[in-house]
Amino acid sequence: MQIGLFIPCYIDQFYPKVGIATLELLEKLGLEVFYPSEQTCCGQPLANSGAEDKAIKTYNNFVRIFSKFDYIVSPSGSCVYHVRENYNVLPQTDEVRRVRQNTFELCEFIVDILKTDDLKIDFPHKVGVHQSCHGLRGLKLATPSELIVEHYSKVHRLLKKAKGIEIINLDREDECCGFGGTFSIFQPDISVKMGKDRLDDHRRNGAEVITATDMSCLMHLEGIARRQNREVRFLHIAEILNSNRL
Amino acid sequence: MDRNKILLNIQRSRIKPVNLPEPFYSAEKEGDKTTLFKEILLQTGGDCIEVNSTEKLNSLLDNNFRGATDLRRNELFKNFLSYSNKDSLERLKTVILEGQFGVAENGSIWIDDSNFPNRLIPFINEELVLCLDAKQIVRNMHEAYLRTDNAISGFGVFISGPSKTSDIEQHLVYGAHGAKKLIVVISHETNLV
Amino acid sequence: MTNHAYKAARFLKNEERATWHDKTLWMVRKKRDLMALDVPDWEELREQASQIKRHSLSKLDDYLVQFEEQAINNGAQVHWASTAGKLNEIVYQIIKENNASRIVKSKSMLTEECGLNPFLEKRGIEIIDTDLGERIIQLKREPPSHIVMPAIHIKKEEISELFHRELNSEEGNTDPTYLAATARLHLRQKFLEAEVAITGVNFAVAENGAVVVCTNEGNADMGVHAAPIQIHCMGIEKVIPRLSDLAVFTRLLARSATGQPITTYTSHYLNPKPGGQMHIIIVDNGRSELIGKEDYRDSLKCIRCGACMNTCPVYRRSGGHSYHYVIPGPIGSILAPHSNSKEFENLPFASSLCGSCSDVCPVKINIHGQLYRWRQDLSQQGARSPIKKGIMKVSGKILASDKMYDWSGKVARWCIKYLPRVLIYNRLNTWGRERELPEVPRESFKEWYNKNFREGNKNGQK
Repeated sequence: MQIGLFIPCYIDQFYPKVGIATLELLEKLGLEVFYPSEQTCCGQPLANSGAEDKAIKTYNNFVRIFSKFDYIVSPSGSCVYHVRENYNVLPQTDEVRRVRQNTFELCEFIVDILKTDDLKIDFPHKVGVHQSCHGLRGLKLATPSELIVEHYSKVHRLLKKAKGIEIINLDREDECCGFGGTFSIFQPDISVKMGKDRLDDHRRNGAEVITATDMSCLMHLEGIARRQNREVRFLHIAEILNSNRL
Repeated sequence: MDRNKILLNIQRSRIKPVNLPEPFYSAEKEGDKTTLFKEILLQTGGDCIEVNSTEKLNSLLDNNFRGATDLRRNELFKNFLSYSNKDSLERLKTVILEGQFGVAENGSIWIDDSNFPNRLIPFINEELVLCLDAKQIVRNMHEAYLRTDNAISGFGVFISGPSKTSDIEQHLVYGAHGAKKLIVVISHETNLV
Repeated sequence: MTNHAYKAARFLKNEERATWHDKTLWMVRKKRDLMALDVPDWEELREQASQIKRHSLSKLDDYLVQFEEQAINNGAQVHWASTAGKLNEIVYQIIKENNASRIVKSKSMLTEECGLNPFLEKRGIEIIDTDLGERIIQLKREPPSHIVMPAIHIKKEEISELFHRELNSEEGNTDPTYLAATARLHLRQKFLEAEVAITGVNFAVAENGAVVVCTNEGNADMGVHAAPIQIHCMGIEKVIPRLSDLAVFTRLLARSATGQPITTYTSHYLNPKPGGQMHIIIVDNGRSELIGKEDYRDSLKCIRCGACMNTCPVYRRSGGHSYHYVIPGPIGSILAPHSNSKEFENLPFASSLCGSCSDVCPVKINIHGQLYRWRQDLSQQGARSPIKKGIMKVSGKILASDKMYDWSGKVARWCIKYLPRVLIYNRLNTWGRERELPEVPRESFKEWYNKNFREGNKNGQK
């Protein structure tokens, strides 16, 4: 099984440690991982701003670079969702279809494809899980609170196996943090207010660490927390899952 | 003119036919319908009294709602048909009506033109008393509309609790425009003579 | 800054109040959850509702004709209005022909959309909104900020002041029970005097010509049964095939809207009262065109429950008026651009695309999908500002080339690291106004990878 590692642009530039954790974790799980260095981005920042037409070239590059792998794994629910959902505007060649089908977010890849959930982690901390919307509703990594179906969460499933961990309950278990891509820039006031409210929820309920499947949400939350000198740590889920004894 | 314009416009963008799904039946909550009905009725702000016989029903109404306008009585009903200007209706305090059937899932009761001589009556009073035969409680709205047997005519309404509003800061207040109180009297054995 | 963003910022100036607004509507969302949880097969019920609506839209002309025929048989008079102006004219004609001057109206987003009140007022006709929330905003001369809770943005202190001024209520009495009682007395008089009662329509049943109106206050019924003339205004999309379909929608509507099992009154009007008149006005105003747009057609399934507003994290924190369209919130943002794509081009961007709206929607409109689609279409239509256009063009070039991407990333990181703080955190940096930028790492992941793995076997050149 050959894995293509897709490291989204903002992780590449600002959070290489998340990319490293992802790579290390996948290798510890015994996988053959390739990182094609001509990769850039999935194109979502353009499309979410209404410039899908300007993103097509980026889409095509992505497909060209990644279609040769059995699976494409990425530490971002949002980017994976974009590839899976919004690459539907491309002509659906075999390559495009393959890429859309085989691109996975890290947690769902571990749970659904590798079919494991015990990563032998020690993580004796109080952890608040931020459910990133695209992972939650787009990739169905968990059940959104508003759907009346049996509840599950792949992220919780992985974290619960960690030794010593305490996953806190939130007042609003899955409200959006307000990042929303370029929304955070074009609607800064609402975006920040949403972020502050999320942080308050985590603080009220005693989170020492806030984690998520998407570094973009955490970048936004961390940006507010640092400005306000709040004492809470932010770790991408890959960093927690990689702190293991495998 | 506008009629044809609109219809033509709709036809012009005629879309792929989509099938009308079969009427919906769902699994329903277990439990006694009357109990459920009562529970929800109370939640909607209504009151409930239960009696065991027709006699008890009448004596209860006499005792608890003395001076009420009991429109289950034929003579009174007929009287109303000839005299019913708005101002006289406005003076109605307590009105008693026969409810046709109740719906367990939402505590509502169906009444129509045959239950009141003037359509304002169920709304314009201060206190509405609806009498309901326990056997006439259906489980949900699917059964409720089946129960009407496609014979709705004139005017009919499901009433669930007293009139209410939450328009001021989401603070619940009873008696917005219609009845301030709704009392349902459920009788368990209405052995009509 | 876009229009919504600007208005949202203004709403947020009073943070305490914005927080109250958010919490209050979140409470309604939670009530909705509890109610939905109580219904076995809730998700299947939504699917059923969606299919009924999709079917109805696919045969809308047939159902409208059937509805008209039945309604006429029942004794109603049916009118058709292709535009907002036509609706207003028809209502005005009915009022004139009957020498009426006292009009009451219960909630109708359609007449709001068509501007019926100002139209009649200009012609010297007084029209009283009778829903408490609507009466409050009418007295305050404001548009509704929510389709189900029109005065949710107003505090009781303001209502107390307003009622004292307009209705002579006790000064300083802010008790909601007292204020509602004041309104009851005031409006009771209006009901008794009314010659014409206007209502909106929740559902119109093709098979029996019934018009169904749902209220909690009983104001639609007080008006309709008290006034000799009743007028029901409905959009063409309100028609559903069968009486049995009503069961599906009445189960969903109030639970989704306010977290009640059903509205207090679910009224079925089929014929006029003895000696009265019953008019039904069927209004198009752009809807028939919308049916032809495949990407957006589903927005016509909307039953106006407002659940998407209550769940929307943006709506709850920006208030309905920030959307500056008659219907606010997520559903409003996908409807508004149809009526004016220039004026409302900013609305599809007033969303973080979290998708919760689509999940609570009782008729399963893919709201966030349509928001995304609108962003593309509006940009294609050239609604994008020249600056944004430029940014997108350059970004598109950068992201399509790994060399340019690597280089730009390096420059950006260098800038954040070495430029003085005042230069980075300037007025144009909306991110940095209340947020820190991420700390810049020594090297990008790619740089790290190339250093550590390039010589190894896994250099990515599969």
